Amino acid sequence: MKNNRLIIFIICFCFFANFKLQAQDLLKKLDAELSDEKIEEIATFKTTRLGLGHSIETRKKGALQISLYNRYWDIPDFKGQRFLADVVSTRYGLEYSITDDFTFGAGYTNYDKISDGYLKYKLLKQQQNSKTGFISLTLLQTISHKKITSPTIYQPTTSDGYAFVSQLLIARKINQNLSLQVSPTFLHSQSNRFLNESKNQFAIAFGGRHKINEHTAVVSEYFYVANPLKSIETYNAFMIGINWEVSDLMLQFHLTNARNFAEDTFITRTTNNFNFKDGNLHFGFNATFILHTRKNKL
Amino acid sequence: MIFTLSSPQKNSKQFIARQGQISFFSYTSVENIEANNNQVLSIFDTETNEIAVNMLMRAFVFKKDLMYEHFNESYIESDLYPKATFEGKILDFEKNNNQLQTKIIRGKLTIHGISKQIDIKTNIEKSKDSYSMTGEFIVAVSDFQIKIPPILASNIAKTISVKFRFQFQPYEE
Repeated sequence: MKNNRLIIFIICFCFFANFKLQAQDLLKKLDAELSDEKIEEIATFKTTRLGLGHSIETRKKGALQISLYNRYWDIPDFKGQRFLADVVSTRYGLEYSITDDFTFGAGYTNYDKISDGYLKYKLLKQQQNSKTGFISLTLLQTISHKKITSPTIYQPTTSDGYAFVSQLLIARKINQNLSLQVSPTFLHSQSNRFLNESKNQFAIAFGGRHKINEHTAVVSEYFYVANPLKSIETYNAFMIGINWEVSDLMLQFHLTNARNFAEDTFITRTTNNFNFKDGNLHFGFNATFILHTRKNKL
Repeated sequence: MIFTLSSPQKNSKQFIARQGQISFFSYTSVENIEANNNQVLSIFDTETNEIAVNMLMRAFVFKKDLMYEHFNESYIESDLYPKATFEGKILDFEKNNNQLQTKIIRGKLTIHGISKQIDIKTNIEKSKDSYSMTGEFIVAVSDFQIKIPPILASNIAKTISVKFRFQFQPYEE
């Protein structure tokens, strides 16, 4: 009796298993047809800047980015009654992507009167199902110029305000939530404000993002300067914040000790450490809007 | 049995479409989203009437590049769920009918790792040794646990209309 049941069960099982196998057979055949083509990793970071510095990302061809970066901070022992924060610094920026890999941009900051421009080229892209495309690599070259309005006519006001920054942005999307970036940086300044200082400086930027849901991520950055200035006391720039993507608009909120927006300035000339004292704590709010000037044909 | 064995190879029972087209549309008053995938794979068996579809989510093309990134990264999560699949059966399929026939395909649709039973009305047309299938159906975004943040709820439709077109050729192993 028991044996009979077992046989029936086995027959039934075989029947169903067989049926199931057939349906899966078709899908399996399709899986074999699917090409093992390398797929480029997308959205290692969702924004072209992590917060302070650039990320490896560039926008696709024809994309125009309109950006407004704001930094707010308080002046220690300030007796005034200003609304919200004692000082607001704003950078107005425009960026345009000529190809999927090549972008240029420019901006102007009203507080420190620095104009900046950059060229960015995506050289290597991380690949899925591939042993070669382990990382993404982007090259960045910036130029900035500080307009010096001298209080006395005797101070030199020639073109000593130019500064250049070259960065190798190297990043890897570790998994779908975590991406890390390391960027060796070379800075050259033509400023003769500090005598007996090397005009060339080296720095390494470390950055990362961790997604907390589909649209928001926690981001952080730290800039280590190998040969800081000796004439003034400087601190390494640090940032922690949240990036939030709302359709075509990217919003970034962060806390940092960096006051300026141009790479050369905030990496080497941040004169306050990261803490919550007035004058040291800076609140940053970046808004970037992406406009597609070109549409794909379907 | 003898008949099957003696039948020549080209009289095959399985048919494959390698460049099937699937497009989807989301219409809202704020924004229209449209995407197209030209590399959809499908295979069907005229003996068992079973059909399977397999596609890579990364192969969808959007009008705006940013939509492509958002679709893959924030909504469909193609790193975790790279494919969408369908397995089903064509009900009352007449394989030798040379006229246009409209049939129901009943089966399991898997998107974003979630499977759902679905009936799809399909127009099937046979010409010589090939079949073509076209049709349209509607899926609800919420059925597949695709999260849309409240702030963007007005940009993405609650139901997405999906159109498909497949040209099947005899399948040779």
